[in-house]
Amino acid sequence: MPFLKDIKYSLHVAMHPFDGFWDLKYENKGKLRMALGILLALTLTMIVKRQYVGYVVNYNHPLELNSINELKYIIFPFLLWCLANWSLTTLMDGEGKFAEIVITTGYALLPLILINIPNILLSNVITLREASFYHLLDALATLWFVWLLFIGTMTVHQYTVLKTITTMLLTLAVVGIIIFLGLLFFNLIQQIVSFVYTVYQELSLRG
Amino acid sequence: MRIKSSILVLVSVLLLVSLCPRPARAAPYEGYTYSYWGDAVQSPIAYLPSRAISGLEAGTGAWTAPGDLFVSAEGMLYVLDSGNGRIVVLDKEWNTLRVIEGFRNGEKKDSFNNPEGLFVTDAGRIYVADTENGRLVELDGTGTFVREIGAPKADVIGAGFEYFPRKVIVDKAGRIYVVGRGVYEGLIEFDSDGQFTGFMGTNKVQFDPVDLFWKSVSTKEQREKMVQFIPLEFNNADVDEDGFIYTTTVDKKTFSPIKRLNPSGIDVLRVGGEIPPIGDLSKDRSAFIDIDVTGNGVYRALDATRGRIFTYNEDGKLLYVIGQLGSQLGTFKNPAAVESYENAIYVLDRDLGRITEFTVTRFGSMVNEANTLYSSGKHDEAAKLWREVLKLDANYEMAYVGIGKSLLRQGEYKEAMTFLKLGNDREYYSKALGKYRREYMRDHFSIYMTGMIAMLLGGYVIVRLVKRPRKEGRVQDAVS
Repeated sequence: MPFLKDIKYSLHVAMHPFDGFWDLKYENKGKLRMALGILLALTLTMIVKRQYVGYVVNYNHPLELNSINELKYIIFPFLLWCLANWSLTTLMDGEGKFAEIVITTGYALLPLILINIPNILLSNVITLREASFYHLLDALATLWFVWLLFIGTMTVHQYTVLKTITTMLLTLAVVGIIIFLGLLFFNLIQQIVSFVYTVYQELSLRG
Repeated sequence: MRIKSSILVLVSVLLLVSLCPRPARAAPYEGYTYSYWGDAVQSPIAYLPSRAISGLEAGTGAWTAPGDLFVSAEGMLYVLDSGNGRIVVLDKEWNTLRVIEGFRNGEKKDSFNNPEGLFVTDAGRIYVADTENGRLVELDGTGTFVREIGAPKADVIGAGFEYFPRKVIVDKAGRIYVVGRGVYEGLIEFDSDGQFTGFMGTNKVQFDPVDLFWKSVSTKEQREKMVQFIPLEFNNADVDEDGFIYTTTVDKKTFSPIKRLNPSGIDVLRVGGEIPPIGDLSKDRSAFIDIDVTGNGVYRALDATRGRIFTYNEDGKLLYVIGQLGSQLGTFKNPAAVESYENAIYVLDRDLGRITEFTVTRFGSMVNEANTLYSSGKHDEAAKLWREVLKLDANYEMAYVGIGKSLLRQGEYKEAMTFLKLGNDREYYSKALGKYRREYMRDHFSIYMTGMIAMLLGGYVIVRLVKRPRKEGRVQDAVS
């Protein structure tokens, strides 16, 4: 049962990050398909969360729910993070390969699933007064995720603590730059397309 | 052939449909309300225009820019014909009872000069804010002069103070409150003897952070030329049975254009829902220019931006909206005042010099009645009416909340949860959920407890079974 073993290993990473990420890098225990599987599972969890989280803590307008949005909020940022982190660490003597970065980030996402699924169930039986428990668990999930991401980045690139923190902050900045360049690029393309179209229109109307 | 004939049929049907007259619209405006999410949702019309009267029809000659309207406790209409400086009194059937053109002030004949506000006490005393003359005039019911109250005199009032009373209200104790033009300190309060006692309630100063920045970097000379940050003035007021004063302000930025002032001038308006009473939730906000308080804390505010009347209940929840700018019966050119009496709403149009009467529809009266019962805590009686309301308007969120609260009291927790969810009331939903949860656990305690014990036992046994061989294995390893 290799699949079951993968799951067991990913849980091991979440519980013992130092040990887990070390094995992930140097014993090739991390699987790309597992990381992508976790990403997919997280996307599904978030879709379910938006729809089915208890009414007491659910402030989503049901008419405005759109599962495609999760691509924007989860998959797109995930890819951006990996890309930005890779671009940055290749310049900053990071030892991680792109695949390793993807795997690490993917495995780090696991707590979000682990906590959110029980949290969704719990939220359906709590009252407003107990809603803080829900929010507490929500915050815990995020903290756990950031913690894993931190350890993962540190292990994969063999950085010191301070350098890891700097790298992570810089990665966020790079993400911003990538978004900016992307928007600029699309804007320019749009301008070019409209220019070509105008020229075509002019010619076709005159001809 | 078949295609041809079918096309022919289609064309003839279309022709017939287009020839049929479309059903006449019952009202020149749409009924709507706002959902929890701030979306405008259609709703039945609560009040329909029934009749209108102008000065010519009343036999007094046209009213020139009438500024205020008051409906007395007996249902008599007092119209302040500002342009002509007179008061026209109509009875319930809209027959002209009296026209007060002037009065004898001591020895000489006196009259009004462009008065803008009018108030009639329960005893029938008429108070007029005689704007251009800078005084209040009190008349008795027949139009005989009683007294006049001039500009307030006190040390706190600067020498440059210009007194132009625009609106006047009188509470049960005889205290007089005046809305002055350009008076941003609040309402001018006089005691029953006409002595100035102070200013009451003010709007908060609002400023733009950007302006504040420029002000802080500019020199003193520059600063003196800049606009001062001063609070906006009240533009109208009304008083309720308990002596609370409702004020309106034309301010398209604030979220409290309507205030309910307690005797010490503090705003105590209740805002229950997510949306405060600000009128339309569009970019070009509503500008409230008049307010009318009816019983049970229900108040109606007149919006000059779109000529609409917004009716709110005591929790600040929007009940219904009527009216619109336009030129048909039931729409206005320049609405100036709103009043209500029993099942009718009266709106005075300054430009047309006309009063329009709106009478309540079935939907409107059901909402009114249900809301009255609801606000007096009779949730079960209210729930019956709310169910009727829902038959006419399934979008009416307040009805769901009303029914939900009633069910919650009756102990129908699960059903209450459904209704409170539909009405988007998280607080009461949560209460119902708590009660339901307790009830559910009490009923199913034995099953869950048995299940839990079984699981614990099972878990223990499995752990024992799994662990034992390992231990033996380890021991064997150690031996070998």
